[in-house]
Amino acid sequence: MLETHNIVKTFGGFTAVNDVSLAVPAGEIHGFLGPNGAGKTTMIRMIAGLLKPTSGQIIVNGHDMAVDPETAKASLGFIPDRPFIYEKLTAGEFLRFHAGLYGLDGNGVGTRIEEMLALFELTRWEHELVESFSHGMKQRLVMSAAFLHRPQAILVDEPMVGLDPRGARLIKEVFRRMSARGAAILMSTHTLEVAQEMCDRISIIVRGQIIARGTVDELRGLAGGQDEQLTPVFLKLTGGTGLQEIDDGTV
Amino acid sequence: MPAFPYLLLPIVWASRNRIRRSERGDFVRALMFALIALAVCAALYSGAFWLTRQLAGYEELGDYLLRIGLSWVFLTFLSFLAFSGVVTALSTFFLSDDLRLLVVAPVAGRRLFHARFARTVSQASWMAVVFLAPVLIGVGAARSAPAAFYVTAVLTLVPFAIIPVALGTGVTLALVSVFPARRARDILMLMGLLFAASLVLLLRFLQPEQLVRVESLPDLTGFFATLQSPITPLLPSFWAGETLFASLQGRSDALHGAALWTTALGTTVLLRMANERWYFSGFSKAQEARKARFTKLSALDRIVGVLPLSGLQRHLLVKDIKVFLRDVSQWSQLLLLLALVLVYMYNFRVLDLDRIPYMSSVIKNVYAFVNLAMAGLVMATVTVRFVFPAVSAEGAAFWIVRSAPVPLRDFLWSKFWIGLVPVLLLTEGLTIACNELLGVDPFFKVVAAVAIAFMSFAMVGLATGLGARYPRFGADNASQVAGSYGGVAFMIVAVLYVMMIIALIAWPSSLYLWHRLRAMPLTLTQQTLMAACFLAAVAVSVATWWLSMRAGVRALQQLDRAPA
Repeated sequence: MLETHNIVKTFGGFTAVNDVSLAVPAGEIHGFLGPNGAGKTTMIRMIAGLLKPTSGQIIVNGHDMAVDPETAKASLGFIPDRPFIYEKLTAGEFLRFHAGLYGLDGNGVGTRIEEMLALFELTRWEHELVESFSHGMKQRLVMSAAFLHRPQAILVDEPMVGLDPRGARLIKEVFRRMSARGAAILMSTHTLEVAQEMCDRISIIVRGQIIARGTVDELRGLAGGQDEQLTPVFLKLTGGTGLQEIDDGTV
Repeated sequence: MPAFPYLLLPIVWASRNRIRRSERGDFVRALMFALIALAVCAALYSGAFWLTRQLAGYEELGDYLLRIGLSWVFLTFLSFLAFSGVVTALSTFFLSDDLRLLVVAPVAGRRLFHARFARTVSQASWMAVVFLAPVLIGVGAARSAPAAFYVTAVLTLVPFAIIPVALGTGVTLALVSVFPARRARDILMLMGLLFAASLVLLLRFLQPEQLVRVESLPDLTGFFATLQSPITPLLPSFWAGETLFASLQGRSDALHGAALWTTALGTTVLLRMANERWYFSGFSKAQEARKARFTKLSALDRIVGVLPLSGLQRHLLVKDIKVFLRDVSQWSQLLLLLALVLVYMYNFRVLDLDRIPYMSSVIKNVYAFVNLAMAGLVMATVTVRFVFPAVSAEGAAFWIVRSAPVPLRDFLWSKFWIGLVPVLLLTEGLTIACNELLGVDPFFKVVAAVAIAFMSFAMVGLATGLGARYPRFGADNASQVAGSYGGVAFMIVAVLYVMMIIALIAWPSSLYLWHRLRAMPLTLTQQTLMAACFLAAVAVSVATWWLSMRAGVRALQQLDRAPA
């Protein structure tokens, strides 16, 4: 469903993403893990069509993003880490506009919008301006918009940022349901518990390169440990915590 | 997939929501701006009407001058529109936040182009249309033009706006393909500054006041002829002028009208092709982070280090100066303002008051007060743009100050002193220099210099205090803060304050001048009244300064909402 082949992205002399290939089949939740500045967001923004790769190929639902971007984007739902929403529109207006962008029209749109608002617990805010929303509410509204057109592939950049526990549980449920219906989900996250709990497979990216890929068990094997949690495995693979500097008094 | 007008819907819906849910002060602000706009339009209409009527008295020469004048007006707007198109396109095509939403959606590049270009044309040209419309209506009314003239005017203005904006957008596309968009914005800001400053200087040094001198009338044709050049007939401004002039005379000039429309269509099609080829690369580049400017400012730290300031004030000062220097839009506007001030001072230098010897002394001293009032208004403009937004400029980072062990009183007073020094230097320099150029009475020189010092304290205090009382932490830029409810309230209070001070100073000063010219001594009562007026001016200034700052500190201390 989602494929990238040998993606490279350079900013001047700096290589942010270096020869990354990924494949996320239908129904899989794929975690994209890595320290800050590793290239996760750059990679996701390239797949979403916001950034142009320096080289490489992106295929969404069989369509090349460079050759046929409209058809490729029609299959995608994108949830950015810092979403843009028109502040002076109401939640309902924003969703209606979003539906139009993805070619949804007719009588069914209103019902679909109501479904999404109900699913993300925003029904009572339908006629309120977005500018009065909290960060978590905005995040839920963006998710409503991303799922509105029933995408076959979903890109999520840091899904849990700003969500309360109830919201986080809701999102996990929605992702599971979408994946059970055959959607491919590529999710970048810092929250290792989320990755461990939800992802079928995980890719770990460091300095723009994938250094490990597999299920949680496979990654555990790669790190050569028997740790129950993913955190120590992640730290071993990505090169330690840096905490010793604080302990040594150097920071 | 949606047609391009669909992409403009959020603007329509957002405007509707703004009207429905207007905030406090929105009506007052709208009314004030509407009145100002109406006054400007009325002045333009009257000017155009009067001039056209005057020219009608010169038979063929008048027609010739009107014809050249029309194409000259359009020529002025042509360059303005082209530059405005460059700057607007940078924002609408590359930097606007909603592009992140639209580019990931399955919207055809062509439709996105059409929507953004329509937005660029309307944003870049509305001001030109607002200025041109009363001028053209004035010309039409003075010549009793037929209704067809007004229809032609609309049909001429549309392609006339599209052509330069399309060219400007093309320049932006080329610039962004070479530089990252955010760097291109800096370059454009500077270009804009140079463009505006040179335009103002050019207009000033052309000495248009020569035109109103009766004795120079024979030179008028020569003056206009110098504005013509061999390439003029190839410009859309010439075509627009010719089309309208023909229509004014009840004829129709299909050739120039067609030239306008075909060129508008042609440039749009060419731009669309270029956009399809290069847009995504430019947009992708626009996502890249910009490089920091003025990162090595050790001299600034050293200079601030020797100033008699507390540690907190020193840190706040260094931070504010660095933020100011790194925001091109801030200091480029300041430089533009300085250019205008220079032109203003130049006006005083060229004033030829000695032509009327009997009155020159009186007029010079009256001008001294006009100058003081003007300096007060300049001060109000500078402070609303640079001092009033000082607290709001902390933006989402204001939590740093609020959560630090920093008394908010110290924070606000630091903002006051940072604002006061440049404002005081600017307005004091302006007043002293202009009075020197005018050669006013030494007594007035002292009065004006002292008055402007007090006015600086009052005005900067008022701006700082009201800025703290009506902060807009969520605003995108300082101009938005200046245009907010608090900013408008400040301008109203500031203008009233300037008028009150001028009235309090002008009466005793004129009394003094009157008696001195007639060599009559002032009575004790008169001297007492004069002193009372001067003291009242001082008291009003000190009270404005002190009470505003106190109210500002209190407002900050009571700020119980988190910055947006």
